[in-house]
Amino acid sequence: MFVARSIAADHKDLIHDVSFDFHGRRMATCSSDQSVKVWDKSESGDWHCTASWKTHSGSVWRVTWAHPEFGQVLASCSFDRTAAVWEEIVGESNDKLRGQSHWVKRTTLVDSRTSVTDVKFAPKHMGLMLATCSADGIVRIYEAPDVMNLSQWSLQHEISCKLSCSCISWNPSSSRAHSPMIAVGSDDSSPNAMAKVQIFEYNENTRKYAKAETLMTVTDPVHDIAFAPNLGRSFHILAIATKDVRIFTLKPVRKELTSSGGPTKFEIHIVAQFDNHNSQVWRVSWNITGTVLASSGDDGCVRLWKANYMDNWKCTGILKGNGSPVNGTSQLGNSNPSLSSNTPNLQNSLHGSSAGRKHS
Amino acid sequence: MEKMSRVTTALSGSALTGRTMHCHLDAPANAISVCRDAAQVVVAGRSIFKIYAIEEEQFVEKLNLRVGRKPSLNLSCADVVWHQMDENLLATAATNGVVVTWNLGRPSRNKQDQLFTEHKRTVNKVCFHPTEAHVLLSGSQDGFMKCFDLRRKDSVSTFSGQSESVRDVQFSIRDYFTFASTFENGNVQLWDIRRPDRCERMFTAHNGPVFCCDWHPEDRGWLATGGRDKMVKVWDMTTHRAKEMHCVQTIASVARVKWRPECRHHLATCSMMVDHNIYVWDVRRPFVPAAMFEEHRDVTTGIAWRHPHDPSFLLSGSKDSTLCQHLFRDASQPVERANPEGLCYGLFGDLAFAAKESLVAAESGRKPYMGDRRHPIFFKRKLDPAEPFSGLASSALSVFETESGGGSMSWFVDTAERYALAGRPLAELCDHNAKVARELGRNQVAQTWTMLRIIYCSPGLVSSANLNHSVGKGSSCGLPLMNSFNLKDMGPGLGSETRLDRSKGDTRSDTALLDSSATLITNEDNEETEGSDVPADYLLGDVEGEEDELYPLDTEHVHPEEPEYVLPQEAFPLRHEIVDTPSGPEHLQDKADSPHVSGNEADTASLAPVDSSSSLLSVSHALYDSRLPPDFFSVLVRDMLHFYAEQGDVQMAVSVLIVLGERVRKDIDEQTQEHWYTSYIDLLQRFCLWNVSNEVVKLSTSRAVSCLNQASTTLHVNCSHCKRPMSSRGWVCDRCHRCASMCAVCHHVVKGLFVWCQGCSHGGHLQHIMKWLEGSSHCPAGCGHLCEYS
Repeated sequence: MFVARSIAADHKDLIHDVSFDFHGRRMATCSSDQSVKVWDKSESGDWHCTASWKTHSGSVWRVTWAHPEFGQVLASCSFDRTAAVWEEIVGESNDKLRGQSHWVKRTTLVDSRTSVTDVKFAPKHMGLMLATCSADGIVRIYEAPDVMNLSQWSLQHEISCKLSCSCISWNPSSSRAHSPMIAVGSDDSSPNAMAKVQIFEYNENTRKYAKAETLMTVTDPVHDIAFAPNLGRSFHILAIATKDVRIFTLKPVRKELTSSGGPTKFEIHIVAQFDNHNSQVWRVSWNITGTVLASSGDDGCVRLWKANYMDNWKCTGILKGNGSPVNGTSQLGNSNPSLSSNTPNLQNSLHGSSAGRKHS
Repeated sequence: MEKMSRVTTALSGSALTGRTMHCHLDAPANAISVCRDAAQVVVAGRSIFKIYAIEEEQFVEKLNLRVGRKPSLNLSCADVVWHQMDENLLATAATNGVVVTWNLGRPSRNKQDQLFTEHKRTVNKVCFHPTEAHVLLSGSQDGFMKCFDLRRKDSVSTFSGQSESVRDVQFSIRDYFTFASTFENGNVQLWDIRRPDRCERMFTAHNGPVFCCDWHPEDRGWLATGGRDKMVKVWDMTTHRAKEMHCVQTIASVARVKWRPECRHHLATCSMMVDHNIYVWDVRRPFVPAAMFEEHRDVTTGIAWRHPHDPSFLLSGSKDSTLCQHLFRDASQPVERANPEGLCYGLFGDLAFAAKESLVAAESGRKPYMGDRRHPIFFKRKLDPAEPFSGLASSALSVFETESGGGSMSWFVDTAERYALAGRPLAELCDHNAKVARELGRNQVAQTWTMLRIIYCSPGLVSSANLNHSVGKGSSCGLPLMNSFNLKDMGPGLGSETRLDRSKGDTRSDTALLDSSATLITNEDNEETEGSDVPADYLLGDVEGEEDELYPLDTEHVHPEEPEYVLPQEAFPLRHEIVDTPSGPEHLQDKADSPHVSGNEADTASLAPVDSSSSLLSVSHALYDSRLPPDFFSVLVRDMLHFYAEQGDVQMAVSVLIVLGERVRKDIDEQTQEHWYTSYIDLLQRFCLWNVSNEVVKLSTSRAVSCLNQASTTLHVNCSHCKRPMSSRGWVCDRCHRCASMCAVCHHVVKGLFVWCQGCSHGGHLQHIMKWLEGSSHCPAGCGHLCEYS
C-alpha cells in the first residue's frame, strides 16, 4: 500500500533524476534549471529541502550519492560537458540555523567534449571510483586514489562504445567471483539496428575493461539501465528501459569451462518484456533486495514488477505520478482522495494504488 | 546584370527552399553576412573573402574578393557586413584597423571601394544603418566608434566609449538615431548618433567582456547581449533604465547572438571557445536550448539567418573552414531527448518519482499544486498569444511511501534485530527464529527454520507446539506433520529420515548429552555441550507444552532455563570464534576436521537410538531403524540456502549459515559464503543496523569478513588536562597524575560509553552529556566552547 506525498520541488525546469542516499534518508534531485537540491527526511517523514545550489551551466542530467563511508558526497553530470563531485560541509553553524547545509565542489571532470549523460559511483568494495558516460560514446572511469581527498581524481579508463551513451550501471556484486562490470545503454536513435546495450568487464590480466557482452536484441534507444542489487546471487539481473521494460539475467558460465584469460561468458536470458507503458520507458529502478522493479514511462505512471516463485514477472502495482489512483488496481478504493490543497506545505496525502504484497 | 535578375526572383519567390548542407572553404572564416536577397552569402576571414551563392543543393562560389598579388592586411577581415538595402554594398573590418567598403557593381576585378584608416587597432565590428544607405558604423579595439558617411572620405563623428575596447556596435531598428555598443569591461552603451560627446545611457550588462549584441527585429526595443560569463541577457531598452528581461545560461562564452526571424522569443548563439555548436534558445525557457546544430568541428565564428522573415534557415561559418546551411527541422532538440522523469526506489520500499507535469496531469485531469509553484516573474507578466508556448516545463515530485506492513522493508529490520544467531542451543535458535518469522507473517521462512530444527536436532526436541502452530495440524507427534511439508526432494519417508539425521547431529556433538538427557539432570553439563544440545528438562517442558497446544509460546518453556544460559551465552560465541576462525580459510585443516567428525558420528550413532528411546518420545523410536548417508540433508540445505540467496533473501541464507555453522559450512564454497556475508552486511549497514552487522561479522567464519571490524579500531587518547598523549593503559595520566576521562557533568571517571567534543576534548557519560545539551550548548566543563557532538 502506497501513500503519495507530493513535494513542492520548486525546480524551475524539468527534474531529470531523483536519487536516494545509501540509508534512504536523503534524496537529491537535479533539474534542467542547472541546480541540485538535497532533501532530508524529518522525524515526521516530511521531506525538507536542506540545500539547493547551482551546479552546472547546463541541464543536470543525473545526480548520485557516494557510499557514506566516503562522506556526504554527490556527483552530478550535465549538458555542459562536465561531471562534478560535491561534498557537504558540516559545522557551518550559520547555515544550520536556517536549516540549510553547505555543499562545495570538490572537482570538475572536464574530459568529455559532449554532454555527460550519466554518472555513477562504483560499488564500495572497489574503492572511491566514478564512471561517467557521454553523448560521444565514451565511458570514463575515474578513481580518487586517496579517499580523503575528493579533489583529486585520475582518469583510469576510457572505453569507447561507438554509440552515443545515455546510461550506465555498475554491477553491484561484491563477490570475488564477479569481476567489476559495467553496463552501458545508448539512446542513439539513428535507424541502424545496432545493439544498444553493451557490457564491459574488467580483466585482471590486461587491467583493462573489455567488452564482455552485447545484448543484440535491444535495438531501440535505451534510456535507463540498472543492475539489480546482487545480494548473494550467483547471477546478475539487468533491467533496461527502452520502448518497453526488459529484464535480463546474466549467468556467468563457470570459469573452468571458458578460457581462463578471456572475458567471462554469460548465459543471457530475457526473462521479462513488458510494453504496458505503451510508450517510451524512461526509468527503471530496483528495490533494495532486487526483487521488485519499478519503471516509469511516458504515460506518467510508475509500474511495479515482481517475479513469482516460477520466475514469471508480473505487474504488481501501478502508481500515478500525481498520486491519484489508477482504475482497476486500487485496492483501497479511495476514489475521492482528500486533496488537501489548502494545506500550506502541500503534503498531500493521497492513497495511491496498491502494490501491497507479502514478502516471502 | 544576370545577378540582378536572380535577386528579384529570389525575392519574389515566396518561400526559400534548400537543405542542410555545407561547403569547404579554403581558410577559416571569421564572419559571414547574407545579402538581402537571401541567395548569396559573403564569408570573410584572415585569408578568405568570398561570395557564395546558396543554391538548392549546394553552395557555389560566385566571387573572390581577395584580388591582387601580395596579400594586404587590409584584406584580413575581422568582420563583414552586407548592406541590407543595397545588394552591391559591403563593408569589412580589417585586423589592422582599416574599414573597407566594397562595391560589387564596379566593373573591374577589384571591387574595393573606399578605405578608412582611422582606427588605431583592430576593428571588431562594422554595421550599416538599417535604413540609411550611406551610414556605416565601426567599433574598434582602440575604444572608439566611428560613424562614416560613405559619400565622404573620412568619418563624420567619433564616439569615445571612455572605457575599454569596443566589441560590437549595432544600430537600433526601432530608433533611427540610436545605436548600442558593447565593451570588454562588461558595459553596454546606448548612443545617439547626433551626439558624439557622451552616451545616452550606460549600464553593466555582464561580468567580463560583452562580445555581442543584437536588437530584436520586431520593433520592441529589446536588446540581447552575450558575454564571456556564458550568459545571454535580454534587456528592455524602452524603459528609462535598462531592465533585464531574460537571462539564458549557456555552457560557454557567447560570441554571437542573433534573434530568430518570426519567432519572438528565439535567438541563436554560438561560442568562441570550447563549444562548436550553435544553439537556438527560447528565452522563456532559459536552461534548455530549443535546438542545437552540431555540424561544425571547430569554433563557429559567424551566424546569420538567411532571410529576415524566414525562421528555418541558418547560415554559419566556422574556424573549421566550412560554411554551413542549417535547416531548423534538422536540428537536434535537446528538449525532446531530455529525460522527463526521474525514479528511484528507496531503502524502505518507498519510491521517489519526478515527472514532467504534463505527463502526470494529462490523464488525471487535475492540476497538481495550484498556486505554490513560483513562476519566474516574466512568465506571469507576458504570454504571447501569437506564439504557442506551453509554459515553462516543470516536474511534479512525489514520494510514494509504503504504509507500514505493506511493501516496506520493516520485515527485514525486524527480522535482523530479532533473530537469534548464536549463544543458544541450535534447536532453540531455530525455534526462536521460526517464531520471529511467523510473527512477521513469513510462513515459508518460519517453516524452513522449523524444518532445520527437525533435521539437525534430536527428535524429542522438536517443539511440537511449534509444529502445530506452523503447520496447523492438531496432532502432536512428528510423522504426519512431516509429510505436510512440501519439500519436493523429500519422499514420504521423510519423517523417519529427519529423525535419524537429527539423532546423528545430536550424538555427534557430545555423548555427555546422552547421559544428561537420560537422567534429566544438570545444566552445568549442558553448558559445556555444543549449542545444538538441549537439556532434557527442556524436553519435559515441551511435552507438557503439548497439552496446552493453542498457545505454545516458546518463552514459556524456555523461561525456566533462561538464567542458566545467561553465562554461556556470553562465553560461547567467543570460544566458538577462536576455535573456528583459523580453520575457516585453511581448507586442509577443514577437511581434516570433517572426517573426524563423521567418524565420531559413526561411532556414536549407534548409541543414539538406545539412549533416545530411553527418553520420552517413544513414538519416534521405531523410526530409527532406517539409515541414510550423513550428508543426505546437507545437499538439501545447501540448495535451500542457494534458493533463498537467489530469491534476494540473503538474510535467510546468512542466518541459517551462522546458526548451523559447521553443519553446512563445508558444503558451500568459501567465495559464495563470503559473498553472502558481504551482501548481508552491506544491507544491514544500509538500515543502520550496526549492532546486528557487527554481530554477523563476529560470527562469520570467512576471514575476509571477520577482519571487517578489526580495521581502524585503535583510539589515541590525549589527557584532557595536560593535552599529552595518554600512555596505553589505565585511566590515569602519567604526567599530571589525574584521572583523564572524567565526566564533565558528574565528575566521576567514565567507564563505558564516553562521548567527548572533538573541539575542546571535554566530555563525559553519554546520558549526562545528552541531558546537559538539552539545556545548554556550551561545554559543561565551563571552558566556553560551543560543543559539537556528532
